[in-house]
Amino acid sequence: MKDNLPDKDGFFGEYGGKFVPETLMYALNELEQTYKTLKDNNDFNAEFHRDLAEFVGRPSPLYFAKRLTEHYNTASIWLKREDLNHTGAHKINNTVGQILLAKYMGKKRIIAETGAGQHGVATATVAARLGLDCHIYMGSEDVRRQSLNVYRMKLLGAEVHEVNSGSATLKDALNEALRDWVTNIEDTYYIIGSVTGPHPYPMIVRDFNAVVGYELIDQSQESFGRMPDSIIACVGGGSNAMGIFYPFIKMDNVELIGVEAAGKGIETGEHAAPLNDGTPGVLHGAKSYLMQDESGQVKGTASISAGLDYPGVGPEHSWLKDIKRAKYVAVSDDEVMKAFHMVNKMEGILPALETAHAFAHLDELMPKMKKDQHIVINVSGRGDKDLNSVVEIEDIKL
Amino acid sequence: MKRIEKKLKELSQDNQKAFVGYIVAGDPDLETSLELMHLCVDSGVDILEIGVPFTDPIAEGPTIQQAHDRSLENDTNLQKILDLIGRFRKKDTETPIILMGYINNFLMYTDLINRSDELGVDGVLVVDIPGEFSLKDSGIDNKNLDIISLVSPTTSRERIQQIAANSSGFIYYVTLRGVTGSSNLDGNEIKKNIQYIKSISMTPVMAGFGIKTKDDAKLLSSFSDGIVIGSSIVELIHKNSENKDFHEVSDYISNMKDAIR
Repeated sequence: MKDNLPDKDGFFGEYGGKFVPETLMYALNELEQTYKTLKDNNDFNAEFHRDLAEFVGRPSPLYFAKRLTEHYNTASIWLKREDLNHTGAHKINNTVGQILLAKYMGKKRIIAETGAGQHGVATATVAARLGLDCHIYMGSEDVRRQSLNVYRMKLLGAEVHEVNSGSATLKDALNEALRDWVTNIEDTYYIIGSVTGPHPYPMIVRDFNAVVGYELIDQSQESFGRMPDSIIACVGGGSNAMGIFYPFIKMDNVELIGVEAAGKGIETGEHAAPLNDGTPGVLHGAKSYLMQDESGQVKGTASISAGLDYPGVGPEHSWLKDIKRAKYVAVSDDEVMKAFHMVNKMEGILPALETAHAFAHLDELMPKMKKDQHIVINVSGRGDKDLNSVVEIEDIKL
Repeated sequence: MKRIEKKLKELSQDNQKAFVGYIVAGDPDLETSLELMHLCVDSGVDILEIGVPFTDPIAEGPTIQQAHDRSLENDTNLQKILDLIGRFRKKDTETPIILMGYINNFLMYTDLINRSDELGVDGVLVVDIPGEFSLKDSGIDNKNLDIISLVSPTTSRERIQQIAANSSGFIYYVTLRGVTGSSNLDGNEIKKNIQYIKSISMTPVMAGFGIKTKDDAKLLSSFSDGIVIGSSIVELIHKNSENKDFHEVSDYISNMKDAIR
């Protein structure tokens, strides 16, 4: 199994590439060259891993979910606790790495897009640490849904730009961030928050997040003496899934399962599941599965979770789907809310609504598993940020 | 001889610069677009650039983004745009027409694009396919269509050479770092870069992005083969869409054409 992709033009099979306006090519080539030089540089790697240990708090634990395991009464369920990272999600791994690239490149201004706000917070956090000017683009619909994270970004000194164009969600925030980048190309570093966008981003974001998967190899060995039978992660753009999947791609006996947002149900068309119900197309600089109509216009998405509310997906996931190395399923908003409560009540863990998608697949998966098997769920983030949404969804008076 | 080459040769023989005018097909509606195409040509536009609307046009500023949104509300698609061009050709067989848009829309209609020369299209400009990559990889392959590529202030000299080698019709020099309709033109930089392109390539060079006033047009046309104007025209069309009296569009175009004479 190939794990040496992308190729020199940034393709994973037929997916990926650099589909961008000319002005951006200079910055992408500059970034690619810088990354190529630094990724095997000892000083750079030492600094990255020191930050992961001392600032992020890595390694994140692999935790045995005893009551969930007893509940399903088949395989052992293990949780990779990215929710315990500083700023509350896996997103910080990538931003710690990319801000170092920005520093080595001498960039003074940082921009990023955000959906749920976790990537915005993670970016504002690392920018604050280096005293860099930081601008976050966020759809106005998400600003409303994730007001706590908006305030957090402002506390960290970032300027939050509300985006009203299009559907006013993550896709449109990305459009605006790209437009900012085209305009301020020379002094600005764009920290993309997922394994999406033009080459080299899907590769860079994957590599920085792959620390999760590499830790899991050692922790699985220590905890149950072998590799897991299945790894489950939610997929929006797909960065937490790609980070935990990547080191396992070449281990054919480890099943990789990505869980997309089925929103109100795949059959209703109101969802955010391009790998389950999309076709190949080009959005935000890369070719990948995409929710689009027969004219090539990008369709609106629907999901209870702002972080998964995106019509595209990382190109490497599209490739893993086509070669059948990973399996992609989808769960509905209702199933997600049920899982959200279950994880709170049985494990004392408040998962993000994004993460609750991964747990929501257990009802389908666990009856097929055997007692001596081990599965790992990537707990990509914690759900404090979602409490306002949950209260609203369930019509609760506080 | 292809229409773009023929038009640019004629202009050059008369010591004239080319005026490339951009409108978004379907804004405010396709019937009006047909009328506007003829009006543009009658007022002084030499080459028509027809914008294909996309939900996520990342190279466009707010003026053209909103025009794309308005057009998409009318369900405009490439099939309908090619029908529009066919109707335009019944009256005008000489003005070159370029389709300008984003690859995701073109991918859905590659068969149609590959026959579009028969329908009256002369060239395609795909904003998000950088010039050193071949459109053939995306299934667009017709030697009768000119492939217009962009060069920007951030394009390295090495890449300019590759792009120039792949381009036909003309090379579109993006005059600023930014989206369409911005305003921070740097005359000296533009002059230096266009002179470099012309030193290594025989293909004519048009300057566009951010040209608004007669002074902009006059300055940039002095060292290029012509200018491209989009946002200003699109804005005037929108302003007058309600009463459909477009003499302001026509006046603006003739003024700009005068400025580059």
